[in-house]
Amino acid sequence: MIIIPLLGAACGVILALHLPYQIPITYAKYSALAILATLDAIFGGLRAQVEGEFIISKFVGSFFVNAGLAALLAYIGDLLGVDIYLGAVVAFSIRIFRNLSLLRELIFNKFHYRR
Amino acid sequence: MQKYNENTKKRFVLLQSAMKGGSRVRIRSWQVGVGLASMFLGMLLVFQLRTETSIKQNLPTKNVNSLAALINKLEADRVRLEEEVTRLRRYLRGYDSDEEVQSLRMASGIYPLKGEGIQVTLADTSRELFPYEDPNLYIVHYDHLELLVNELWAAGAEAISINGERVVTQTGLSCAGTTILVDTKRIAPPYIIKAIGDKSTLKAALTMPGGYIQTQILPYELGLTIEEKFQLYIPPYSGSLVFEYASVVSEEELEAALLEEEKVRLEATGDSRFSTEGSRLPFGMKGGEGK
Repeated sequence: MIIIPLLGAACGVILALHLPYQIPITYAKYSALAILATLDAIFGGLRAQVEGEFIISKFVGSFFVNAGLAALLAYIGDLLGVDIYLGAVVAFSIRIFRNLSLLRELIFNKFHYRR
Repeated sequence: MQKYNENTKKRFVLLQSAMKGGSRVRIRSWQVGVGLASMFLGMLLVFQLRTETSIKQNLPTKNVNSLAALINKLEADRVRLEEEVTRLRRYLRGYDSDEEVQSLRMASGIYPLKGEGIQVTLADTSRELFPYEDPNLYIVHYDHLELLVNELWAAGAEAISINGERVVTQTGLSCAGTTILVDTKRIAPPYIIKAIGDKSTLKAALTMPGGYIQTQILPYELGLTIEEKFQLYIPPYSGSLVFEYASVVSEEELEAALLEEEKVRLEATGDSRFSTEGSRLPFGMKGGEGK
């Protein structure tokens, strides 16, 4: 189970190393948010899978909605001159940690009760 | 709980079969989703990392302090060397008292001079600006100084200095960020231009109705004062007088070269009527006709 995200990430890194793209400095903020949103989606998806309630449409939908909202916040923040995107960063971080702790709990329970 | 157990069991079986190299591995939606998301993450991380490293390479913030120290050191060196040049020139002055040499030295700016003239003081506007006003228009730029100096030369000034820097034939004014450079010297407001010459003529030339000051300086409320002085002191030029690229030619050589140039130009234009005018006329206009 843990092998899938690692494998995917490795594929992505290898692919990206062969591509010449680089994120323009002005969009670095947005891509940082995108990284957090993907991390959140990965952990959320893993948790849902372990809980046995993974639905692909929900996974894709929530990923895009979250990322879109975060990007919108960052954009509004840029317009207003206030770093609203920090709010999205904090929210994503909290979600990531919560998902991670739930995942850990579930996996722990699974192995603990099997014995 | 029932479903959960079922699921884990099924997955465990699948995992086992996958490990054995079983052919019946079903790809599941979560694997696709999470796998693609992870791939995306990996790519984003690489791109972001590239951006960050390029930022660090392009902006060497660590060097700023050492560069500042270097500038200070070089400026101190320059001041010392200029003092030496002044001392040596003063020493040299004892050797020639020939009149022609004297006037050439005055013209080249290596003698300090005194005489009557005017002193123009120019400063940024002192008034609080309204929000809709462009602050750029209310500060002194290098071209203000350039044009004032030009007006003064045109009115017959014999020697000019800006903030204690002698203006000679090779002097250039330029703008470097927020400061103005006279040759390579940085100067700061208020800008004081001293000009030796007939003081009433110089003043009249500057304050002429419709002239530069009236049209370009007074409307922007720059701080301007013009004083007539009976005795002005202008310091000598402190820069280098070394000619690296130019060399002296004889009159005959110059004549020959100019004639040659003229011939080439006539051949190139092909029409003697235009070329004899000495300047290119706009298309459709003929020299000597019209008006």
